[in-house]
Amino acid sequence: MTTVSSPATPETHPSPLQALRTLRADGRLAERWPDVAPLLAELASTGAETDLRRAGSVLSQVDRAQVLAARPETETAVVAVTGHSTLGSLGAPLAAEFGRHGLLVETRLSDFDAYQRDLRDTGSPVYAADVDLALCVLDPQLLLDELGSPWQAEDLADAARRKLAELERLAAGFTEHSGAALVLNTVPLPRAVTHQLVDHESRAHAGVAWREFNSGLLRLALAHPRVHVIDLDPLVAAGTPLNDPRMAAYAKAALGDDLLARYAREVAHVARMLRGRTKKVLVVDADNTLWDGVLGDDGPDGIAAATTFRGEAFGTFQRLVRQLGSQGVLLAVSSKNDHDNVVQVLREHPDMVLREADFARVNANWQPKDANLQDIARRLNLGVDSFVFVDDSPFECGLVAGSLPQVAVVRLDDEPALHVEKLLADGWFDTPRLTAEDRARAAQYRTEAERAGLLESAGSQEEYLSRLGVRVTLAPATAGDIDRVAQLSLRTNQFNLTTVRLQAADVAERLADDSHLVLVVRSADRFGDNGVVGVVFAQRDGEELRVDNMLLSCRVFARGIEQTAVAALLAHARATGATRVTASYRPTKKNKNVREFWPSQGFTTTHTADDEVRFRHHLDDLPAVPDHVHLDSALEGSTR
Amino acid sequence: MTDTTNATKMTKEDFIHLVRDELDLPLGIDDLEADFDHVVSWDSMHMIRLVAAVERQTGNRVPVGKLLADRSLSAIYERISAAA
Repeated sequence: MTTVSSPATPETHPSPLQALRTLRADGRLAERWPDVAPLLAELASTGAETDLRRAGSVLSQVDRAQVLAARPETETAVVAVTGHSTLGSLGAPLAAEFGRHGLLVETRLSDFDAYQRDLRDTGSPVYAADVDLALCVLDPQLLLDELGSPWQAEDLADAARRKLAELERLAAGFTEHSGAALVLNTVPLPRAVTHQLVDHESRAHAGVAWREFNSGLLRLALAHPRVHVIDLDPLVAAGTPLNDPRMAAYAKAALGDDLLARYAREVAHVARMLRGRTKKVLVVDADNTLWDGVLGDDGPDGIAAATTFRGEAFGTFQRLVRQLGSQGVLLAVSSKNDHDNVVQVLREHPDMVLREADFARVNANWQPKDANLQDIARRLNLGVDSFVFVDDSPFECGLVAGSLPQVAVVRLDDEPALHVEKLLADGWFDTPRLTAEDRARAAQYRTEAERAGLLESAGSQEEYLSRLGVRVTLAPATAGDIDRVAQLSLRTNQFNLTTVRLQAADVAERLADDSHLVLVVRSADRFGDNGVVGVVFAQRDGEELRVDNMLLSCRVFARGIEQTAVAALLAHARATGATRVTASYRPTKKNKNVREFWPSQGFTTTHTADDEVRFRHHLDDLPAVPDHVHLDSALEGSTR
Repeated sequence: MTDTTNATKMTKEDFIHLVRDELDLPLGIDDLEADFDHVVSWDSMHMIRLVAAVERQTGNRVPVGKLLADRSLSAIYERISAAA
């Protein structure tokens, strides 16, 4: 593990930690809160773990009210912490790790060993209504405290079964009574436990029992959508010690500071994921990132991603990038090279695992990389804040981090064998569940090029649309759609009229409630099926159909799909006896383009305020489905 | 004090610097002598982090079990120096 601390370094460029401390000393930390995340990002991406923890100390003392007064737009999170051992040192890393994602966190630490009381008593602080995440931190002592002296493997197996059953009950109770996410963790098995048993048979028995406890915890996450289990075994396997035995003995710190810091990093990524801030695009450099060598200098024969020692390490990295691409992460290249040379390598070079077709965009040119990232964003119709950028050049990384602080920058170096670890160090692409749309995403974006070709050859937008052959299907969501609907609700930013975010469990609740209408919009055209691209959430209230929200994937804007969905919805409302349909728009930083959407569909404005505009449609004059769209609606009142 | 190891020895100033840096406590030189009850927001977690930081910096093992009974930063410093 790299630990770099900052001694008193050059006067010209203060370290991020010094910059943070200066902001605090000057009393400007609250007002300059937006500067905090980039400073922390620099610490994290340069492996300055000690400074990052120290920065966390600074941030954990920040007056939240002051930040919110100075910067009301600041995103906040409340984390309740309970467990079995000493957890005081979790505050600083939580502040640092949440801060990296721009989240101002309030950590509420419960009493020592209070997890049973906290999870049982619905009046305890972990059940407070404003809690986003409840962490119940588990450690080996949880099981070991159950053992008498002396003990046998069977005693450990009994203890593991009892504790697992208890945790299952507590988790079930929590998910029933709280809307927050419950975060548990697996418990690494200390050698000082197994080797107390001298016979190998007992040792194996104890090892099995311990793993069954951990497997049972992981199964809890499979059973409850709001339970998340952070697997500590991989963190320990990567070299973070379970604890310092002296601190475990004297201070009951059963999990060490370094492990708690790693754990906090994972928790922050759970929080990110739950807010739908999963990154969508991975932009990779080419020279010395995807292959060994510089294409422009060494030529195609001089670069390697196989056969040599270093080449194989690059090949392994390419396989990781491809692996991410297969799970819905869009891949793009940003390389300072001649475009044709890069494309030729991707088409013909025998070493390449990644091929041209794996990338949604290949931007190889001599323009600055920040401009290229913006260009890629424009062409994919996504924000750069959904980008992860990977490069081995400190200059390019610094440029992008400085000019586009919303981009997550992964700084590689000249050791390709560490590329994989560096890209995976943060769970940028973590998502609750993969959907069919995720697996097919790369192929769908590739067909965008064919659509663009059609658009160019068509004489007009009308001709393009009519030749595109858009088909829209509108139907009530079924159980199989829940994950995709939740995903769209969490991830859609631009065409999201009220930006009410729903987790899978919330979507399931609406599906089970007869007064709610959840309609999924599927689209397809001559180039292929786009899957579920939109959702309409509505509620029936007597003669009124109230639209809570409408979402549309940015991939399919401006093809008449949204107009078609509204036309079908209004026809359905009238056919089922409604006399009016109401809807609203709530502005966010990202959805300004749909401010006029409802009026453009024939709705009149009934109420205007800063945070919400409301609309109504009287259903006397129904809009028609656009001519170029073929609608297939499972709803009552559909005309075709 | 005799330094018989290759590990770095820590001066009182280094120690104060480390305490400020690692624990982020606004300490003055007077606070070295004060009982922990009188030191701004001192808690047992500070001790844990201080021990880890001192060990990282000096490469020496600190006698944690004895340290926990100490009631002031200067007592801790004396013990750390003695161990070096």
